[in-house]
Amino acid sequence: MSAIIEIKDLTKEFKVLERREGLKGSLQDLFSRNYKTVRAVDNVSMTIEQGEIVGYLGPNGAGKSTTIKMMTGVLEPTSGTILTNGIVPYKNRSKNAQEIGVVFGQRTQLWWALPLVESFKILKDIYQINDKDYNDMLDLYRSLVDIDPLLHKTVRQMSLGQRTLSDILAAFLHNPKIVFLDEPTIGLDVAMKANIRKLIHALNKEKNTTVILTTHDMGDVDALCQRTVIIDKGKMLYDNDIEQLKKFFGSYRILKVRPTGELETQAESIKNELEGFSVRIMDDWISILVDEEKAGVMDVLGRLQRSYKIKDMQLEEISTEEVIKKIYEGGVN
Amino acid sequence: MKKKDLRFYLRIYFKILAQDLKSKMSYRADFIISTIGMIFTNIAGFVSFWIIFRNFPSINGWSYYEMLFLYGFSLIALTPVQCLFDNNWNLRIAVYSGDFIKYCFRPVNLFFYYQSEVFDIKGLGQLAFGIGTLAYSWHHLGLGFDILMLLKLIVFLISASVVMVALQNAAAATCFWIQNSFYVLDLVTRFKDYAKYPITIFSPVFRFIFTFIMPIAFIAYYPSLVILRPDNIEILSLFSPVIAVVFFWISYKIWMHGALRYNGTGS
Amino acid sequence: MNLKKYATLTKAGIIESLQFRLGTFVMIVGNLLYLIVVYYLWKAIYASAGTDVVNGMTFTDTLIYLVLATALFNFMEMYTVWYIGRDIQSGKIVLDLLKPMDYRSYIFWSYSGEFVTNFVYTFLPTFIIVAVVTKGAISFGSNLVFFVISVVIGISINYSIDFIVATICLYTESIWGINIMKQVIVLLLSGATVPLAFFPEPFKTITFYLPFQSIYNAPLSILLNAHQDLLSVARVIGTQLIWCIVLTVISKLFWKASLRQITVNGG
Repeated sequence: MSAIIEIKDLTKEFKVLERREGLKGSLQDLFSRNYKTVRAVDNVSMTIEQGEIVGYLGPNGAGKSTTIKMMTGVLEPTSGTILTNGIVPYKNRSKNAQEIGVVFGQRTQLWWALPLVESFKILKDIYQINDKDYNDMLDLYRSLVDIDPLLHKTVRQMSLGQRTLSDILAAFLHNPKIVFLDEPTIGLDVAMKANIRKLIHALNKEKNTTVILTTHDMGDVDALCQRTVIIDKGKMLYDNDIEQLKKFFGSYRILKVRPTGELETQAESIKNELEGFSVRIMDDWISILVDEEKAGVMDVLGRLQRSYKIKDMQLEEISTEEVIKKIYEGGVN
Repeated sequence: MKKKDLRFYLRIYFKILAQDLKSKMSYRADFIISTIGMIFTNIAGFVSFWIIFRNFPSINGWSYYEMLFLYGFSLIALTPVQCLFDNNWNLRIAVYSGDFIKYCFRPVNLFFYYQSEVFDIKGLGQLAFGIGTLAYSWHHLGLGFDILMLLKLIVFLISASVVMVALQNAAAATCFWIQNSFYVLDLVTRFKDYAKYPITIFSPVFRFIFTFIMPIAFIAYYPSLVILRPDNIEILSLFSPVIAVVFFWISYKIWMHGALRYNGTGS
Repeated sequence: MNLKKYATLTKAGIIESLQFRLGTFVMIVGNLLYLIVVYYLWKAIYASAGTDVVNGMTFTDTLIYLVLATALFNFMEMYTVWYIGRDIQSGKIVLDLLKPMDYRSYIFWSYSGEFVTNFVYTFLPTFIIVAVVTKGAISFGSNLVFFVISVVIGISINYSIDFIVATICLYTESIWGINIMKQVIVLLLSGATVPLAFFPEPFKTITFYLPFQSIYNAPLSILLNAHQDLLSVARVIGTQLIWCIVLTVISKLFWKASLRQITVNGG
């Protein structure tokens, strides 16, 4: 194994205009303006090895996409250094781009009105992929997913899941050393999520591609990543093995119930009943954070059903936001 | 990685252009109506030109056919910007929606990749119209014809086109800095319609503005002098290829600078 | 003191403050530049004509006519076709149709606010500049009252034409093509690019039987006192009124008949 990405003391600052309120404020803004410097990324360092799948987590606005933009060379750091593949990305954007693949959320990079195979052919030329490598890659794709029906469909006609799948295939087409995936499973149904995770996993195994995955979905992290890096407000909070994180959070699940009667009073009463559990009201649901090492979800539900009439219930994995909250509350490291 | 030479860029260019044509063909009704609309525009432009000048034998020492020559010349010179750089019109929307970033991840020149995405075939009608007008006035002016003249014509037509492309690039790139950049682009487009008039009708101040600040005089007037009045060429006419390259280079730098700067502010 | 710091702040301040007013600024400056170009062009044309009056119009008449036609165009253009076209494509039109208001009036009144800003930004300054520059060529009498009446009817005719064209978009989806055709036809045949007095026969007669001249030519000819007596002014406004009624009825009926199209297409 060798380091493919080396980041040292990386910082990116933006100047943000602070607007005053009201008409008087905007008139004042005409003559004098206050700028606030915001550190989107604050002194981040990490080293990523070839072939790793790294989950890059954090809430919205944490600085994830700014870091990725710097790694892909579209943004110049304010200070600190990045080396991907031994080159400085923003100085050699084009050269760097040859060795990376990017999927950015729901923004497709494929040609909207073209059948997928035509998009692939253009990419083949842009990345100067030779015929053999191209055909080998398509064969590999065929062995992993049922792409033939997709190949002759235009992107316009595809479902969101098919489009995401196609975008991921396109990102791997030139066999890049690193692939950046930004929220690849957002908005997809459970079956499609599983498909996409399987595909990413297989491509990583087969080609030893480094994958940097930003996500909100702990399910993605659980299924794919050996390592997670958590960032919040630009600062790195956590960088370690997923096992360690799982040891800490794996046992946590969120039980959501909707009892009959008034929500607030019921929540209050449940809070008294289940001492030691964190009970909150979230959108119309009473949500209970259950540590399964202390008590099973079914036990808790059973206890509740004795005293309350439960109309509806849901079970959720712990979210990134909860994890970050927990890290703040009692340091994991 | 193989070296990216001109052949590489040409091949990609035609591949991407072909995809654009294919997708345009898939909206056939739109394509046909837009083409008719474009032909309408050209005819209307010609008709208003004809109505004005049939009332006057000459303007400022420029005969009807000389004016027609300038008109045809400007139509041809404005074709490349219409056909090849039409994606500049979408730049503003791509930047605001954040879709622009997708152009930044490819191992090819950003400007090239962005512009290659759209080929506006409607501009070819304008080209045909321009060639017809130019040939007609050429014949009536009795300018004669030889290979050297043809070469001159081509060189100076290209320089004229490049100036217009540069103007549009710079205008489109303003969207990286300001909101409402549509007005800037629209303004430049409105002024290109006045490129077909001899710059001598303006006062010195505006001659200066239209030569150096908003160089529409290089779209038809200066370059066509070389063919039209070879005994009386202004020095700026001869330099127009150089000036075109300089303008283009500046506009390219502005465009690229804006593009890379924008990525910092976009989400 | 650190001067550079202040210089940077000033620069940033200028750029920032320009961001919001730049659209307006460009609009006003662009309009002024345009006036200057038109001024020089027609000055040169008239200087070469040898006579002061061409087709019954003096240089000042022509200048006022063209400049105010452009100002009227900027002021009247509501981009209705674009708005409705976009509503149709995005499906937002279904929401607007649910509003307890006739769609035709809804669209008109939602964008009527732009009349006010456009009037202040473009028409008024242009009118004042022209009145000052031409030193009293515009007479301030009853013609102003008739001019205002005529403009209001012109706006209504223009809107009906726009609305008819926008309704066509329900069938074709080609907004750009349809819009450019409309714009070209309206601008040429309404006399906004070349005064209708310059048109050769039989085109001149034909344009007077079309509704377009009622948009720009009618109010401008009233303003310029081309009509000697009240009777002929009444005839012009009467013609406008007839067109206004006819086109309003057509646009309403066409819209009503086309609404079924939306329900077929779905939202």
